[in-house]
Amino acid sequence: MTQNEGYLLLALPLIPLAAAVLLMLVPSGERTLIRIVTGVASVAMFVISVYVFFAFDYRGEQFQGVLSWPWFENVGFLGENGVQLKVGVDGIAAPMVLLTGIVILTGTWVSWKQEHRSKDFFILLFVLVAGVYGTFVALDLFFWFLLYETAVLPMYLLIGVWGSGRREYGAMKLMMMLVAASILIFTAIFGIFTEAGLGTFDLPSLFDATYDPTFQKIMFPLIVLGCGTLGGIFPLHPWSPDGHAAAPTAVSMLHAGVLMKLGAFGIIRLGFQIMPEGGEFWAPALLTLGIVGALYGAIGALRQTDFKLMTGFSSVSHMGYVFLGLGTLNLIGMSGAVLQMFAHGVMTALFFLLIGALYDQSHDREINHYSGLAKQMPIWAVFFVIAGLASFGLPGLSGFIAEVHIFIGAFRAYPIVGGLAVLTAAITATYLLRMFARTFFGEADPRWSDVGEITWAERAGATVLAISIFALGLWPAPWIDRIAMGLEMGIPEVLS
Amino acid sequence: MGMEQVWLLPAIPAVIFALMGLFNRLVPRRGDFVVILGMAAVVVLSALVLLDFQGSFKDGHFEPGGSNAYAFTWVEIETSVVEKLLLIEFSTFVDGITVLMLAVVSIVTLMVMIYSVGYMKGEARYGWYFAVLSGFGAAMLMLVVSGNLLLLYLSWEAVGLASYLLIGFYWERQTAAEAAKKAFITTRIGDVGLLIGIILLWRGSGSFDIQEIIHFAEGGGYGETYLTVAMLMLFAGAAGKSAQFPFHVWLPDAMEGPTPVSALIHAATMVVAGVYLVARMMPVFDVALVARDVVLYIGLTTAALGATLGLVTSDIKRVLAYSTVSQLGFMFVALGVGSVTAAMFHLFTHAFFKSLLFLGSGSVIHATEQQVVESLGGLRRKMPVTTILFVIGSLALAGIVPLAGFWSKDEILLVLQDGAGFGPFVILAATAALTAIYTTRLVLLTFFGDPKDRHAHDHAHESPPVMILPMALLALLAVVAGFVALDPVGKALGFSGGIGEVVFTQGHEGHAFKLDATIALGATLSALAGIAIGFMYWWGAAERAVRARQWAPEFHDLLVNRYYMDHLYQFVIDKVVLGFASVVAYFDRWVVNETGVDGSAQGISFAGYRLKFFQTGRIPNYALAMAIGVVVLALVAVGRT
Repeated sequence: MTQNEGYLLLALPLIPLAAAVLLMLVPSGERTLIRIVTGVASVAMFVISVYVFFAFDYRGEQFQGVLSWPWFENVGFLGENGVQLKVGVDGIAAPMVLLTGIVILTGTWVSWKQEHRSKDFFILLFVLVAGVYGTFVALDLFFWFLLYETAVLPMYLLIGVWGSGRREYGAMKLMMMLVAASILIFTAIFGIFTEAGLGTFDLPSLFDATYDPTFQKIMFPLIVLGCGTLGGIFPLHPWSPDGHAAAPTAVSMLHAGVLMKLGAFGIIRLGFQIMPEGGEFWAPALLTLGIVGALYGAIGALRQTDFKLMTGFSSVSHMGYVFLGLGTLNLIGMSGAVLQMFAHGVMTALFFLLIGALYDQSHDREINHYSGLAKQMPIWAVFFVIAGLASFGLPGLSGFIAEVHIFIGAFRAYPIVGGLAVLTAAITATYLLRMFARTFFGEADPRWSDVGEITWAERAGATVLAISIFALGLWPAPWIDRIAMGLEMGIPEVLS
Repeated sequence: MGMEQVWLLPAIPAVIFALMGLFNRLVPRRGDFVVILGMAAVVVLSALVLLDFQGSFKDGHFEPGGSNAYAFTWVEIETSVVEKLLLIEFSTFVDGITVLMLAVVSIVTLMVMIYSVGYMKGEARYGWYFAVLSGFGAAMLMLVVSGNLLLLYLSWEAVGLASYLLIGFYWERQTAAEAAKKAFITTRIGDVGLLIGIILLWRGSGSFDIQEIIHFAEGGGYGETYLTVAMLMLFAGAAGKSAQFPFHVWLPDAMEGPTPVSALIHAATMVVAGVYLVARMMPVFDVALVARDVVLYIGLTTAALGATLGLVTSDIKRVLAYSTVSQLGFMFVALGVGSVTAAMFHLFTHAFFKSLLFLGSGSVIHATEQQVVESLGGLRRKMPVTTILFVIGSLALAGIVPLAGFWSKDEILLVLQDGAGFGPFVILAATAALTAIYTTRLVLLTFFGDPKDRHAHDHAHESPPVMILPMALLALLAVVAGFVALDPVGKALGFSGGIGEVVFTQGHEGHAFKLDATIALGATLSALAGIAIGFMYWWGAAERAVRARQWAPEFHDLLVNRYYMDHLYQFVIDKVVLGFASVVAYFDRWVVNETGVDGSAQGISFAGYRLKFFQTGRIPNYALAMAIGVVVLALVAVGRT
């Protein structure tokens, strides 16, 4: 990836922002125009994301496409390169950019049928996506945090206005927990800035700086808890099931698919990459929270009777794998964690897309109210089964690739934890297969005889997500090469 | 075409599966002929692989060359420090047991596909059915040619998925959906062990390659306890897939699938994957003898358990399912005493006669739409060909000389006697006699006597040629398959010493087939006695059978309730697992959420509510507070100095 291609990285957050501004100028009645603007913007983001992923050279520099524009320099407490708009990707961010591109493309398509204040919905959604992209490509800590918050805050309105069920409650809880968590990140960021004493928020410089080990041991947990809350780390996960249950389809997709990954990404970027010794010290705790969360989410999901609550618990479980992988402190396990971020992203986006497609028709998410749905919605059922198989780690699909790395890494670190992690996958299979048998199969319930097949937009979106699931599952090399390279160069100190 | 290109065998049906799964509606006849031609090509290619394999067989020895391994890298993580941190290859490996499995899988799959043209005629999802059969064939072939444990695991799960889809083929029926789920989850629990075992083997040796692991184990690379644990974990996977005690409960329920599927997946191929896996890893089991003993005793338990349940079951397919469970137990017994030869030989013969029996039962069900044996009877007049073929299969199962089952069952009894002593031998010999009894019962109740269900009997008819032909071919194999063990036949096929010399894993000594006169005679007599007992009880009105039932009602109840094992599992799932899940769910709702999250929010609102009363708006209150503050600060300052 050449330096000039850094403009593409800059374009990633700017396109959705520009689209949001453009949408403000469009009269809200112009539905076709709204579709054209959002459609073009989402395709552009998708294409650039795919390009960035493949153009990233996993034999090259650690950060590629690096471009920077100073903003504040040599004023007050800021020194050289104090705050700058700096973009660039490494092997960890590149797959995340791809993931965002896939999810926003499909999320946009399925949101076109949103009738209520469609324009405002898309404006907020695109601001959110700008924040997500920005966080993944930012190489300046100040902008990193600014964009991180930009990604989180629109959630409140998106859930509160367009949600369903207990939407005010879900939105409020989510927002309060995430804002409280951000205080911890904010504290850590200023701690890091001061301790480094460089007078700059430039991330590569901060990676190279040295920090007192005691300082690292104190600050690392702040990052884990702060970012981990967004990542759904046990026991700071309770916003996840309720938030997901209340959110509209595309928001659930983006939130579970991409935003939760921002949390895990933050733990790597701000935690391990800046404070490797702190990471080493706290890794066993991170690993423990990971495996507890994985088991806890899976067992909790066994008893859920609401589609979205079940998927919410499932997300807690799968994100538990991510933290478990990060806690193994070896290259295989940590690569597995990043792979899992991608794998869970596309898989859970597909889940929420399909649940939304059903809910829009039936306005009922109670699993026990359904039976024999495969009769009315065969295509829907096929996609759901694909997502489910990926979720419990069927080889050949994305989930297996990620999980097998995490399992192997865990076995290298602590075999007992590895064994428990494998067991979790069997519990996942149990709750999903039980649901399939009750809900999709068996005699068709006449109550739902007017429920029909999913729309073409939903089919297209589900196809894109399913292709991603198969791609990672069958040909994982492009992901693994980039991720392993990014981790090896990013945190050489901790990888044993 | 030789052993290097063996990857083509799974590749052909895999591509057909992908194309036909998506586009079968665009092809005439929903693409059944494409699927069948593809599998026919695989049969031909298997023969070519066999020839190539034969070519490398010199001076009574198989020349193990590295040349038969084909590999491409699937997952690779390298670092500047460690060159091969993680390497997962798609590699193939061909040896004697691979060739044998290729023959079994390709031939039986092809026969079942042809049979299905008649049996599944007019089904709504006809094209999908054939596509999944092809997908199953691909996965099963990949399983037997893979030279890498993770590739094997991948195929292992893929055959499980195909099995899930086919058991649940009639998914509108709730029982079929439940059976598919039960099969998948039960085997999945075994697979937890399998994956743990594989990773444990990797953790010691740093490789997923089967041959490298075998060398590492033989060199004493693993600690004894470590290896025992790893191999027991691996065996859990094998027992799950091969429906061994305590995982056997899924197989009888799996009979909800279409009958040809039962013949293919749940008799001849997928369920023997566990046997194949243990045989493949036998050199490692030879180092972990405790684990091998577990294989022996689990096999013995399952053999006896399956045979006793076969006695009282009234669904024709379920009888055959319990019979399969029992016969798989026989194979594990052979493996438990370290005889790959005997186990693979029995696998080979069993595949033909058991799939024949299933296809025969399918023929009956197709004709009568009835599968409860007590309601059948007298079908020999209506379906003479099916009757003859079914009887051939039954005699082979009972072990009557010179049919296939006789030779292989004899071999197992022989190695058991040499390897494990008298006790296990007696149990297995008794089980063999029981086999003859339940088989006789099945044949008598179905085809002889008077028809019990007039309606079913009246519209019964012989099956069409497209169904009879594959059965006839399998019947032929059920007659002659045992002969390959004999020296002259082996020589004629190019393997001096017969199949015993071919079927061995590398580094593991094979041995020529032996026929012990005492055992052969004893086994034949006990099989004949079993048949005689069967006739005594179930010939005619079956009065004795009814009386026998009344004689020991408790024991009969125990059997009819399948030793209450399904009940026990259901109890554990409903009460223990789901109960625990409820506790977790309540904990999450009430402790973490209501108390932790909402509670803290309410705590803060409450604190705010109380604190607001301090803001009275009256100057004197503020002045007082200020004065107190000044005094306190002053005292602090004084105290410091």
